[in-house]
Order: sequence, then C-alpha cells, then structure tokens
Amino acid sequence: MAVMAAPENTPVWVNTDRCKACDICVDVCPAGVLAMRPDPTSVLGAMISIVALDDCIGCNECELSCPDFAIYVAEKKEYKFAKLTDASKERAQAIAENNYRLPSGF
Amino acid sequence: MATREVISTGNELAAIAAVDAGCEFFGGYPLTPSSEVMHVISDLLPKKGGVAIQMEDEIAGVCCVIGASMSGKRALTATSGPGMSLKAENLGLAQMAEVPLVCVNVMRGGPSTGLPTRVSQGDILQSKNPSHGDYKSITLCAGNLAECYTEVVRAFNIADRFMQPVIVLLDETLGHMHGKADLPTLEEVQAGIKLRKTFDGPPEEYHPYECGPTDPAVLNPMFEGYRYHFTGLHHDKNGFPTEEIETCRKLIQRLEDKVEAHKDEIESYEEFMLDDAEILIVAYGSVSLAAKEAIRHLRDEGIKAGLFRPITIWPSPAEKIKEYTDKIDKVLVVELNIGQFHSEVQRAAARLDIEGLFKVNGRAISPYEIVNKVKEL
Amino acid sequence: MAFNYDEYLRTEKMPTLWCWGCGDGVILKSFIRAFDKLGWNKDDTCVVSGIGCSGRFSSYLDFNTVHTTHGRTIAYATGIKLANPDKHVVCVAGDGDALAIGGNHTIHGCRRNIDITLIVIQNFIYGLTNSQTSPTTPRGMWTVTQKAGNIDPTFDGCKLAEAAGASFVGREKVTEPRKLEKLLVQAMEHKGFSYVEALSNCHINLGRKNKMANAMENLDWIDSITVSKKKYDTLSPEEQMNKLPTGILKQDKEADEYCDMYKEIQEVHQGKRGKITQDDFEKKI
Repeated sequence: MAVMAAPENTPVWVNTDRCKACDICVDVCPAGVLAMRPDPTSVLGAMISIVALDDCIGCNECELSCPDFAIYVAEKKEYKFAKLTDASKERAQAIAENNYRLPSGF
Repeated sequence: MATREVISTGNELAAIAAVDAGCEFFGGYPLTPSSEVMHVISDLLPKKGGVAIQMEDEIAGVCCVIGASMSGKRALTATSGPGMSLKAENLGLAQMAEVPLVCVNVMRGGPSTGLPTRVSQGDILQSKNPSHGDYKSITLCAGNLAECYTEVVRAFNIADRFMQPVIVLLDETLGHMHGKADLPTLEEVQAGIKLRKTFDGPPEEYHPYECGPTDPAVLNPMFEGYRYHFTGLHHDKNGFPTEEIETCRKLIQRLEDKVEAHKDEIESYEEFMLDDAEILIVAYGSVSLAAKEAIRHLRDEGIKAGLFRPITIWPSPAEKIKEYTDKIDKVLVVELNIGQFHSEVQRAAARLDIEGLFKVNGRAISPYEIVNKVKEL
Repeated sequence: MAFNYDEYLRTEKMPTLWCWGCGDGVILKSFIRAFDKLGWNKDDTCVVSGIGCSGRFSSYLDFNTVHTTHGRTIAYATGIKLANPDKHVVCVAGDGDALAIGGNHTIHGCRRNIDITLIVIQNFIYGLTNSQTSPTTPRGMWTVTQKAGNIDPTFDGCKLAEAAGASFVGREKVTEPRKLEKLLVQAMEHKGFSYVEALSNCHINLGRKNKMANAMENLDWIDSITVSKKKYDTLSPEEQMNKLPTGILKQDKEADEYCDMYKEIQEVHQGKRGKITQDDFEKKI
C-alpha cells in the first residue's frame, strides 16, 4: 500500500493548500472534529480547521469523502482514537446547524 | 536497383506497403472505394502478429489508430472523402498531440455521398486542412500503381519523422486499377525504415514537447516508464494543458514550422518531357497517366507539351511550379475537380492566366480531351 | 501512517480545477485506492479520458494518460488495448461523453467485450459547458437549454451496457466511497468490458437551479434515488421506476474477451489452427 508518515500523535490533519472549503468533510464527521473557519484569502471565504483533535474516532469518512486530497486520517492500528461521545455528537450537530462553523460556546 | 514485379491493384498495394513498412495496426470502416485496403490488410496483419480491426464508424477507425500509435506502433487507416470528413476532428488531435499515422484516402466523387464508385480528385483542399485550427498538413499523392506502394512506405517514414498524420491520396481509378507494378524489394523498403525518435535518458529529464522551434515532439511509446500526457488542448513541455500565452503561441507556430522548415525532405514531383516544353501541363494522380498519353500524341503532332506532376501535394512544390510557370507561357492544370490544385498553381505562379481542364462527373479524363484542350490554348 | 494518494497523483497539478465539493475528486480518490489495492504498476496502465470535467481525470494521474476528443475515449482505448493486450486500460467519461456523443463507442466497446474498464461519471448534466441537458438529466429538471423543464426521456447507462454485451456492469455513488472503491476493484479485476457508473454531484450546474445548490443537498438527492441491488429486486415495478440500483448489476466471467479472441484470428492466419466457425460459439446469433 502507498503510505505516508503521519505527524506525531495526530489522528487527523489537513492540507489547506488543497482545501476548497466545500464543507463535505465537516458534514460527514460524526464527532464534530472539523469545522470551517473564516478565511478572507480563500475563494469561498472559509477554510477547514480541526476544532477537536482528540475526539477523532478514526472512521476515515472525512478523508474518503474529501474530493481534494486535503485531509488525512492516521491508520487505525497506529493510533488510539477516541470513542464517539454524546458531547462529540452534540458538537457535530451544532456545527452542521451553524453553516459548518463552530458556534460559540464549544 | 533491384525491383520486384507484381500484378495487383492500387488498394491492395497500399495495404501491402503498410505491412512492409512495419505497420502493426489498422483500424477502419468500410467505405467505397477504399474498402479493399482493409480487406487485404485484415489478412496480412494478423499473420505477422499485428491487429486489423473494423470499428463501429469512421471516427472510431482513426481514433483506435491514434491510440495504437501513441503506444508506439506504426498504424494505418484507410477511407474515402466522407470518411475523411468524419475523421477530421481526430486528425486534428493527432496534429496537436503530434501522433504519427498514415491515412490513405481513395478519392471518390463528392460532396456528401457523391459518386461512391466513381473517380474524383475532390479532396485536395480537404487534405490541406481536414481539421480546424493551424497546422501544416502533409499529403502525398500516388500517380501510378507502383506509387500506391512507394508513397505509403514513404508516408510512414515521414509520419515518424515529423510526428503527425500523413495523408496518402489515391483515387478510385488507381485504387481499383489492376496491373503490373515494379516495386522496390522488401529488403530495400525495410532498410529505409526510419522510426520515430525516442528519448532514453532518465524519465525525470524527459519533456516530450520540449524541442527546438522547427522540431517535432519526441514521444516515447507508452508503457515504457516515461509517463506523460497526451491532449488535444494547448499543452506545455510535458503535454499538460496550459493557457500560458507564450507557450501556446510557440506550440502552434512550431506545428507549422516543423514542416515548413524541412519541406525539402518531403517535396517530391515528377518532370515529364519538360526540358523543351512550350506547354506545361500540371496533373497528378490517375489523371497524370492520361496527361502523359496526351503529351505523347501532342509531340507526335509537333506540339511540345510536358508534364509537371506533384507527388507531394501539401506542402506543395510551389518554388518548382514557379520555376516552370516563369519559363513557360501556356500552363494547363488538369484535374478531377473544379480547380482545387489550379488555385494552388495560380498562387505559386503568381499568375491569373493559368488554364484549367476540370471534370466532376465521376468519369476519368481521357488523353483525347487533354489533347483537344491543349490545341485550344 | 496514512494512505499516500500523492504516490499516484501529479501533485504539481493540485488542487484540481474541479469546483468545491465536486464528486469527480472522490471518484479519482476511490480509483487511486482501488488501483493501489490491485497492486498494479503505473507504467503498465493507461488512463484515457474524454471531454468535460471528467476529461481532466487523466491529467491528475501519474500514469500513461490520454485526454481525447469528445466521446471517443473508448475508441482510442480500443486501439491502445488491442495493440498492448497485456497492459491495463481504464477509460473515464462523463454521461454526455459516454452516452450522448460517444454512445456508439460505448455500445460497441460493450459488444466486443474488450478488457477495458469504463468509469462513467454520471452527474445528470453537462457540467463543464454550463448546465445543458444530458441524456441522463431527470425529466422536469431545469437545464439551460430547457428552462421550461426537461422533457427528454432519460437513459439508463447500466441497462444499455448490459444489453450491449458488457460482461461487468455496476453502479455506485460518491456518497459511498468504500463501496465505490470495492466496485472499482471488482471491475478492474474483471476480464472483459467493465461498465461502472459512478453517480456524482454537480451542485453548481445541476443543483443551483434545481433546489440543491450545495454539495450536501445534491448528495442527499443522489442517496434518495438509489437503493442497493438487493433491495431494488424486492421493489415493485412502480417503485423501481424512480430508483437506480447500486452494486454489481451483471457479471459474466465466462464471456469471451476480445483480445483473447483476436489471438485466435492471428493463429488462424499463422496456420496454427483452423478457421473460426459457428461451432466455436455457444451463442450463434
């Protein structure tokens, strides 16, 4: 398999040079790990950001759904991912309802 | 020079020539009066381990040939006017991406379905620019049975030299003419094969479209470790689409200049009884056979006529034409269309008083008609 | 460690020129993962694409790649494959490319059953040229050429491929990238013509005027019109009418492959076997 080294102790990371801010990864993340942040230099005025790194459950949905090769998830066997918690689900819901941006209070 | 004598038809000779020249792939579609090329080559190629396929249409016929050629094989397609019209767009891609191939066009009456089983030379201008855009087409025209063979061989070498399609014009008369032809030996043909250039340095230093302003691209065959991109879009040195102004300009200029700067390598013509000629006849293809016959009759009657026969039609031997038209007052272009090459002779000669004998009813021009026309001049 | 897509990408071409959220990128990614799973060699593989957004698919892959004219993908690929029967040839075409202008080549590629994998990126619209009706645009939708609503009946590319003789036919969607990857592995492994329809979103040129202006809305719509083949088979004809089945829809592992059959032709001409007759085939007409 074609593999790349993962940054140390990082379950999920992004390449902002490739992200086009389509929101799909944020939409598919069940754990509210990802959210868009305002970015005036981006075409759509937003950029992907990781808002809850330690809550990533390693489901890989974001990576597989990203059309732009901009997001990567560590191998299951190499990283101890978090379990999906109610707090994570709640944050995911709130982000989705706030136009994929992290609402204040989270 | 050793030769071999064969009795055959023009279409069959074209097919045999391709195989002798190292063609490994044929793709085509039935089209009168060219179909016999496919009939013959579909036996010859598989025998040698090659492939001949009848595709679903004319377009697919040329597309699969371009595909095979991209992978490094010498490849042929054959058709007639309506098929040329259909193939045009993809011949344009082969011009743009610089993929060599040979396209035999056995001309019949047009436009449209025209006169499928009758002779014509109506595709002269079409073969100059079959596709849209700027490029320099290379078109050869057989004038007798032997040339149905030798010009196809030459076309393969020119295609690989200039990395672009080469059209070989036959006409219905030549394609279906059955007779004796003196051909070069197979050894001689094979010794003359010059395959396309390839690059053998490290892949990271390979830039297929990075070449001098009058050079063709150097395209390595696929599947050999040099991965690059073919496209019909304007492209950069590695074949990738670009709209960069200078790159685009240079690319198209080079497609023109790579032929223009080396046209002496392509130019070919026959001069027949021209030394003392007072009347210049310009004719090509099967018409030139009638013209030669007419010239013999005219000379018997004391009229000094001679023939200039372009074998390379595009780029036209314009300088040579000018040399003769400067020297000889009475010039007659004889062709089976309404002046398609006549206008090229006018252009080359920079003269508007070039006479024409044209015929577009699907019948050959007889020597008698040429004799009569010359006497009227 | 993570999966390294860059090993197969022409990274200097990134980011792609596709719009934000375009499913083409997901299909490209699924293709790369499938290819990696198969363990094929990039040098032994040719990817051929046509015109349209899908046409750029080949230029992003560090393979032997060909960007052809509109609709002619399969015709080019047929030449490449027949001239190099031991190499892998994959075609990528859009719905307009494969089913409108190139429909004839699709039919005859299927009929010959030549060992090519055709990935049809089906997004129900002409995207690159801005919202013209495609043969798969649902009736009643807005297109720029049918602003009053599309009246043209639609094509089911998978049914067409099946009827035309493709020995592998499957459909998947970009909302199921794992299943898409698996289907692509199966299709590419299959010897014979493999027709894979990958349902994709074009929220820009289909969605914008059809009430699904962002990727998620368009993707939800795709989910709403698809069911697994297994489920599809349990539906009534009325229910089936507005659903597209996903998964493997046909696989015939016994069907003669064209390059193999052409070897027989070569052997006949080389005197290694007798002529091919009707007795050589089970299905004669």
